[in-house]
Amino acid sequence: MKKRLLLKLIGLLLIVSVVGYLVKSSGLNFRQALSVSIFLASILGSLFFWDFRLSFAFLGTSILLLFRAIDLENLIKSASLEVILFLAGMMILIGLLKQSGFFAWLVMLILRIKKLTAKKLFISISITSALLACAVDEVTSIIFMVAAIFQICDFFETNPIPFLITSVLSTNIGSTGTVLGNPIGILIAAKSGLTFEDFILQAFPIMLVCLIAAIFLLFFWYRKPLQNLDEKIKEIGSNEIFLKLISVPPDKNLRFSFFIFGLTLFFIALHHRLEILLNLEVNTILLIAPLIFAAFVMLWKYKYAREFVEHDVEWWTLLFFLFLFGQAGTLQYTGAIDFFTKKLSFLFRNNYSLLIGAILWLSAIGSSCLDNVVLVTAFLPIIKSFESIGILIRPLWWALLFGGCLGGNITLVGSTANIVALGILEKEKKLKIKFFEWLKIGIIVSILTILIVWIILILFWKTK
Amino acid sequence: MKIKEIMIRNVKSIPANISVIEAFKILAEMQISGLPVIDENEKLCGMFTEKDILKTILPSYIETVGKFVYVENPKGISAKILELINLKVKDIMRKEVVTVDEDTAICEVARIMITQKIRRIPVVNKENKVIGIVARQDVLRALLKDYIK
Repeated sequence: MKKRLLLKLIGLLLIVSVVGYLVKSSGLNFRQALSVSIFLASILGSLFFWDFRLSFAFLGTSILLLFRAIDLENLIKSASLEVILFLAGMMILIGLLKQSGFFAWLVMLILRIKKLTAKKLFISISITSALLACAVDEVTSIIFMVAAIFQICDFFETNPIPFLITSVLSTNIGSTGTVLGNPIGILIAAKSGLTFEDFILQAFPIMLVCLIAAIFLLFFWYRKPLQNLDEKIKEIGSNEIFLKLISVPPDKNLRFSFFIFGLTLFFIALHHRLEILLNLEVNTILLIAPLIFAAFVMLWKYKYAREFVEHDVEWWTLLFFLFLFGQAGTLQYTGAIDFFTKKLSFLFRNNYSLLIGAILWLSAIGSSCLDNVVLVTAFLPIIKSFESIGILIRPLWWALLFGGCLGGNITLVGSTANIVALGILEKEKKLKIKFFEWLKIGIIVSILTILIVWIILILFWKTK
Repeated sequence: MKIKEIMIRNVKSIPANISVIEAFKILAEMQISGLPVIDENEKLCGMFTEKDILKTILPSYIETVGKFVYVENPKGISAKILELINLKVKDIMRKEVVTVDEDTAICEVARIMITQKIRRIPVVNKENKVIGIVARQDVLRALLKDYIK
């Protein structure tokens, strides 16, 4: 074990040193080459040493400061504190919803389908997974969906795997629909100035098209397990027992929690209008809405305030993001990113459709094995730099969002939702999905949905 | 006061290889909720409690999702109870055990119990063999001895 870790570490250092040397030889100065190497070390560190990724981020950032690749003031400016605070605020609100039983109540609605059939269940799992991911986040959403799938599959004594895979794939597709679905959504919104309305008007419809296409494909792919479930439903009887026994009435606490969350969503949805009305900077309301309502939650539930902050906010992950954003900022600060921007713009100088495709497919392939936040963080400064050389960047932001989220469907480690769902499956049912078993359906769904996005982006922006 | 003055010396331990059902019977007979687990060399290798059995039976996501078991007798839980019959103590016991040595002060033991949320702590020697056990009540009896006679 120790030997394996050591070999990985040597491999990482070797790759980082070689890349650092190569970029320096191709014309970058020492600080630029250092910022590239350190950022690469953080990416590889999160790939090879997931549990220690924060150590790599701490060390790397310290080295950047030590060698003056960036100063403290600019590091803090690039650390996107607004994104971190937004995510922390949302995590507190999600903590409240969990505590009040909101998700249990919501998922219960799936189980209450009257005259249940396999087709009805399949469609409702897909749609609920996608919409829940849109409203909260993919990881919270998938835990509750998996719990609901297990309940119903246990009841009908059927294999949960097809429903679980469908739910995960739909969750990843759904996470592209709003700013809230995935951390990369808010990251892109904060850096690009895209508003919640932009997401609803442009990303959400594309997400729906992808979801519908995926449901048809998955329906065909899993037709046999669905037939089996229909037979089981006939044999055991419909879910009348569920209808009788399910009793999680929406109590006062739940209703008020839902009201607070609804109000947060309302302000997030209208943030752009309010910012214009109040003459505020772009995305100010978007970023402070979760903080304001999280503050109310901590006052209302003052006895649990510390628990919300200490347990529901994933500080480990947020700290990693903070340092990673700082490191990506160093790429821009040193000017290293201009080197890559020039190369890319030269490569795709005459073909904008190809540039959209390159970002879409590269981010998808990258996020199939890397954390999509890491990948998007690397792409952000590149896309921003395209603006300075006169390239229309809005479609590129969408390409990055969809690539980063849909690529997560390719492999079973492609997104956090996949890892969480498979972890629960293994623990609860002692069932393991093999890498290629997932890849077969994951890659088909990903190719289909990414192609749809590519075509829509090209068609839409060619008419502009 | 040191823990060796109040610890229970004749400790019943459970071998790691016996079945969970057999171990539960021992707990039920002794009317206690947990016991230390020892390996073939009689060294402490874990702690087995009723909580471990419950945790095995209930879904692992129960703490995250909260109130989520809908039906009265969920089939998933019945299946897990069936699986439990074939499990051994070593499969579900807690392997990270907080221990103390016999020269530990009572107040330190009380501190560990409060901060680590544990009810009983095995007392081990240098070879990691269990030489005693101390429960929350033993600590309290010692601290309040002048008032509960």
